Amino acid sequence: MRKVVYAVLGVAVLGVAGFMIYKALNNSLVYFVLPNEYAKDPSGFANRTIRLGGLVEPGTVHFNDNTLQLHFIITDSIQSYPVEYQGAPPDLFKANQGVVVEGRFQKGTFVSDQLLVKHSSNYKPPKPGQPIDVNMLKKTLQ
Amino acid sequence: MHYLQLGHLGSASILLAFGLALYSAVVGVLGARRRDARLQTSARLATVATFLVTATAVAVMEAALITNDFSVLYVAEHSRIASPLWVKIVTLWAALEGSILLWGFLLTGYTAVLAFTAPLSPLRPWALAILSSVQVFFLGVVAFLANPFQTLPNPPMDGPGPNALLQNHWMMAVHPVLMYLGFVGLTVPFAYAMAALITRRPGTEWMVQTRRWTLTGWGFLGAAIVAGGWWSYEVLGWGGYWAWDPVENVSFMPWLTATAFIHGVQVQERRRMLKSWNVMLIALTFCLSILGTFLTRSGVVSSVHAFGAGPVGPAFLAFFVLVTLFAFGLIALRWDDVRDRAELDAVVSREGGFLGGNILFLALTFAVLLGTLFPLVVEALSGQRVTVGPPFFDQVTLPLWMLVLLLMGIGPLLPWRRADGSSLRRNLAWLAGGFVVAGGLALLLGMREIYPTLTVALAGYNLVSLGLLLSQALVPRLRLSTRAPMAVLWSYAHESRRRTGSMIAHLAIVVVAIGIAFSSGYRVDQQLRIGFNQSATFQGYTLTPVDRFMERTASRITSGAVVRVSKNGHVLTTLRPRTNIFGSGSRPVTKPAVMDTFSHDLYLSLDNTIGPDTTYVVLRAVYSPLVSWIWFGGLLLVFGVVFSLLPARRRLAEHTATAAEEAAKA
Repeated sequence: MRKVVYAVLGVAVLGVAGFMIYKALNNSLVYFVLPNEYAKDPSGFANRTIRLGGLVEPGTVHFNDNTLQLHFIITDSIQSYPVEYQGAPPDLFKANQGVVVEGRFQKGTFVSDQLLVKHSSNYKPPKPGQPIDVNMLKKTLQ
Repeated sequence: MHYLQLGHLGSASILLAFGLALYSAVVGVLGARRRDARLQTSARLATVATFLVTATAVAVMEAALITNDFSVLYVAEHSRIASPLWVKIVTLWAALEGSILLWGFLLTGYTAVLAFTAPLSPLRPWALAILSSVQVFFLGVVAFLANPFQTLPNPPMDGPGPNALLQNHWMMAVHPVLMYLGFVGLTVPFAYAMAALITRRPGTEWMVQTRRWTLTGWGFLGAAIVAGGWWSYEVLGWGGYWAWDPVENVSFMPWLTATAFIHGVQVQERRRMLKSWNVMLIALTFCLSILGTFLTRSGVVSSVHAFGAGPVGPAFLAFFVLVTLFAFGLIALRWDDVRDRAELDAVVSREGGFLGGNILFLALTFAVLLGTLFPLVVEALSGQRVTVGPPFFDQVTLPLWMLVLLLMGIGPLLPWRRADGSSLRRNLAWLAGGFVVAGGLALLLGMREIYPTLTVALAGYNLVSLGLLLSQALVPRLRLSTRAPMAVLWSYAHESRRRTGSMIAHLAIVVVAIGIAFSSGYRVDQQLRIGFNQSATFQGYTLTPVDRFMERTASRITSGAVVRVSKNGHVLTTLRPRTNIFGSGSRPVTKPAVMDTFSHDLYLSLDNTIGPDTTYVVLRAVYSPLVSWIWFGGLLLVFGVVFSLLPARRRLAEHTATAAEEAAKA
């Protein structure tokens, strides 16, 4: 009789724990996408923290050094999105540089609290007018 | 001297070491099976030879690093002429191949010591053979898959130097060594456990013989984890010490299962129960440490710490599978020898407490393992790259931590077999009192965050528990002795080293828990832009950058700001956060400046590089209350372990002497 009680309790505890873990995991998964991948299914990532990777589009960088707000456009040559980042740009941040920003979309602008500049010797940014190799870009940003 | 280049000497040494380890393993197994003393002695001597030869390989590598011999591949890839001497020495373990060599070296050292200090027993030859087999793997990887000693026909003039993040702090010299000493130390009880299963001697023999090794390995691993946290804090610039990064997690999981193991050992010693738990826990500890090595050296997880992809990944995965099959297969085979024949007398008992602890630690390990491996599963199934962020780990593990703290307080107070009602109720009343008083105090002082408040309440509860334990032990002694209470306490501490050591260790955990609760719960993080000779306020401090500075040494260029920190008009200190560039073309690496006090840390990190024309500094200021309690708690834990390991004073001689003195006075 004791064994049956233990077994039932055990299953119940496991069930509750499993459910809690599932929920926690679901909320904490941070997907990594390129702008064009996000564009294919924006609703799939609604209200979630995601990591967006791409290049800094030249001529779009604005830094307000009083409010410490950085604005720029992130692109993978197929799709672009405006990014807002609270903080000073790190040293390697410049046009055509590969970056990964973590945050979420708010009304069309990606508001991010983490910005990582990807220093890769393998990826060479294209000359103006040349298309970007999207797969290569994704590999070097990961 | 073309044919006696250092690279050749190193490669030859490693190859020889591999051969000797193979010999030890094979002859060890034969000697153990046939109970042939000559074969066993031969195997034991071979372990010493393996150690000496591996030491030679390590010495050769250090020589190559120190003399800038760029014909050796590892030196060419990871060292730089301009680096200071300590960096060159430490470069031995700065990268993949060298770190495996270090692991192998420490393993051969431990095995050699064990071969000549372990008591003679049927377990010893098997344990040594298993250790030698593990050596065969590690030395084999170095010799055949990732040989750092390969000779370059056209050596470069200079190298890139080790990863900039590793040169930034002296902890680089300490943390990896502590970590490997921990993992290797825990391999010893694993080997003995397997030996016990093979020889069908599943009793306490194997645990008693390895008790010191287990405790030492556990202590080193715990120290390594805390040291790693401190290092991250001092170096990485975000003011945090733990990010639930996959590499951090894989060092943490074996520590969790090892903690459950060192507690389970006591139940087996006293009541001969939970044998199957213990043997599974130590097997799990070893398997997790190999899994961890695989994850950090194969490139499958993205992490700031990972060594990156390499040819060793598949080898470690194969070894992990092999070890897991071997260990758990052996346990299954010998299940009848280890399974519990008796049930617990009562759930509310010391044994029940330990069992509960085992379950909690396993649950924690499972949660961390799930969070760490989940991205791999997702990527394997869908190709999507994901990361599991800290919120998952926090949400799932924090409730379990609270339960651990709860159990830690009541567990040592529970009697063996069955708790009798009245004394249990009395203890619980005291404990509840401690909980309520501490919790009440926290609420009165304005604390409202749930986990910090709960941690404070549980800290009070645990302090009461330690007080009860001490009084239970000391009051009878005080009644019988005429000496001063402090002297009685001192004698007790030295006679019951294990008990006292465990009390110190539990106290250390409480201190660390408080440190973590406050520094995460009440941390303030702000980015400030301050012009030179202007001020900004942060958490009651006034920060004024007064000057810039630049240093240039042979190996690095440093630029930073001199920031004056004042409070209420008094200048408290000057902090110099800076950025370092090691070698041309490398990333600038920030080096934060920390002002640490007993109650909190003021942490400043530079977010912009200071040049001659820069007119302002962008500082990331972090205020972390009680964060130094974590490092102090870590030291206390190490002290507790050391205290436990020292030999106990002879009680009988002491008492006889004291009684004689007192009788003479009467």
